Amino acid sequence: MTPHPAAARPSWIRSALSVFRKDWQSELRTRYAVSALLMFVLTTIAIVLFALGTEGAPAHALAGMLWVVIFFSGMSGLARTFVTEEERGTAMTLQLTASPSAVYTGKLLFNLVLVYAVNAVAVLLFFFFIQGFEVRTASIFLVTLFLGSTGLAVMSTLIAAIIAKANTKGTLFPVLSFPLLLPLLLAVINATRLSAEGAFFTEALGEFQVLISYIGAVLTVSYLVFDYVWKD
Amino acid sequence: MTEFLAANPLYIVLGIVLVIWFAIVGYLMRLERRIHDLEQSNTR
Amino acid sequence: MSGKIRALPWKGLLGVWTTLVIVLSLALPMVARPEHWYEFPIVPGLEDKARIIFFHVPTAWLSVLAFVSSMVYGIRYLRRKDLHDDVRSASAAGLGLLFCLLATVTGAIWAKFSWGAFWNWDPRQTSIFVLLLIYGAYFALRSAVEVEEKRATLAAVYSVIAGVVMPFFMFVIPRVLESLHPEPLLNLEGSAGSIPVPKLQMNTTMLAVFLASLAGFTGVYYWMWTLRVRAGTVELRRATEGEDRD
Repeated sequence: MTPHPAAARPSWIRSALSVFRKDWQSELRTRYAVSALLMFVLTTIAIVLFALGTEGAPAHALAGMLWVVIFFSGMSGLARTFVTEEERGTAMTLQLTASPSAVYTGKLLFNLVLVYAVNAVAVLLFFFFIQGFEVRTASIFLVTLFLGSTGLAVMSTLIAAIIAKANTKGTLFPVLSFPLLLPLLLAVINATRLSAEGAFFTEALGEFQVLISYIGAVLTVSYLVFDYVWKD
Repeated sequence: MTEFLAANPLYIVLGIVLVIWFAIVGYLMRLERRIHDLEQSNTR
Repeated sequence: MSGKIRALPWKGLLGVWTTLVIVLSLALPMVARPEHWYEFPIVPGLEDKARIIFFHVPTAWLSVLAFVSSMVYGIRYLRRKDLHDDVRSASAAGLGLLFCLLATVTGAIWAKFSWGAFWNWDPRQTSIFVLLLIYGAYFALRSAVEVEEKRATLAAVYSVIAGVVMPFFMFVIPRVLESLHPEPLLNLEGSAGSIPVPKLQMNTTMLAVFLASLAGFTGVYYWMWTLRVRAGTVELRRATEGEDRD
């Protein structure tokens, strides 16, 4: 009664999409990750507002602040997708039913959606509530936001997979992620500052190059290395 | 000698560094001996 | 009989060599216009304090070498699943952390001498600090995993990711930091971009002592590394023997 091989192994992409859909539906039902992240963003922005008071801060400082908020929101929410598998004991089943690349891609898709959504909210809140936060070159800002969020998701997904197998998951996640995310953060903060100053789009091309190659490199390494992390 | 050292404080630095260095070497040699003993005792 | 008699000669020589380097680097006179072979040129603004370069650069160089070594043995472990490779990888990383700490401290002292402040966020200081963070993260990860094979695998994977990300620092940091923070005052030697070697006017004697110091420190690193590997190997053997006996 062995199932026919062709029927038993769905294509890699469909596997990945199923993984994504599973996480997505689970998230829709419970809304754990989204609510935690949104609350986190709200509270951090509130603290920033209190700290700034009536004085406000120079535009480039606010650019950095935005990415501080984004970074820490990521740290509080992006590991969830792997950690819950371990906590609920479903990791082994997932290992058996989907190939490592499919699992990684599915989880990555989930994190990407999460990151885009949360960052969009964070940016909107920043515009509404924080005085002095202005963007003069929208094109730079939007591209930076997109690339930065993507890079954040890509790196975080890989590190999340690693710490899910470790003991002190919570504190370990930012500790492992921060040094590796630094090139991304530096490039992104610089580009945001450029957009706040009203620079020309071409001036930010250097940063975009770095961001794109960073994303490419980390993606490649992830696919090569995920196998070792995921398999027991 | 103290006037010489006061005039050339660099030699005090040299002295301190050498003391630290010899302490490190002594420690490494002690480790060397102990590991050697461990390795011998293991392969009976 | 094994290593003891064969090994001592090179270690003894190493000890003598490094002692000589220390003495020479600190004792050779600094003169405005060196005429004799044993004289160093005076470094403007720093004079004798420039001698720290004989110690600072080797430690920085070794912290990078140790990292690469750790990564290479980590990759080997991923391929062969031999825990002995993990011992080598972890031993290198431990030493790398030590030398990175030393490099950061001596670098801060150098910064104080050159620019008046212990910390400057110039590209070199930032890179060595990031390396320190990576080492710290590596050991935090290792201490959080109990199963040996899993620990070795995850540590190796992390070092590979870090190795891939490091080159980006080389490109991003110099440009970004120089635009975010003004050049430190009295930046006499220049930051030389991302290369962690300050530029100095060195005459032949100074260069010779510098290179000798580099060689000596590398030798000491190698000695310490072999000691750690041997200790780790003994530990491994004890562990497997214990299992066999059960």
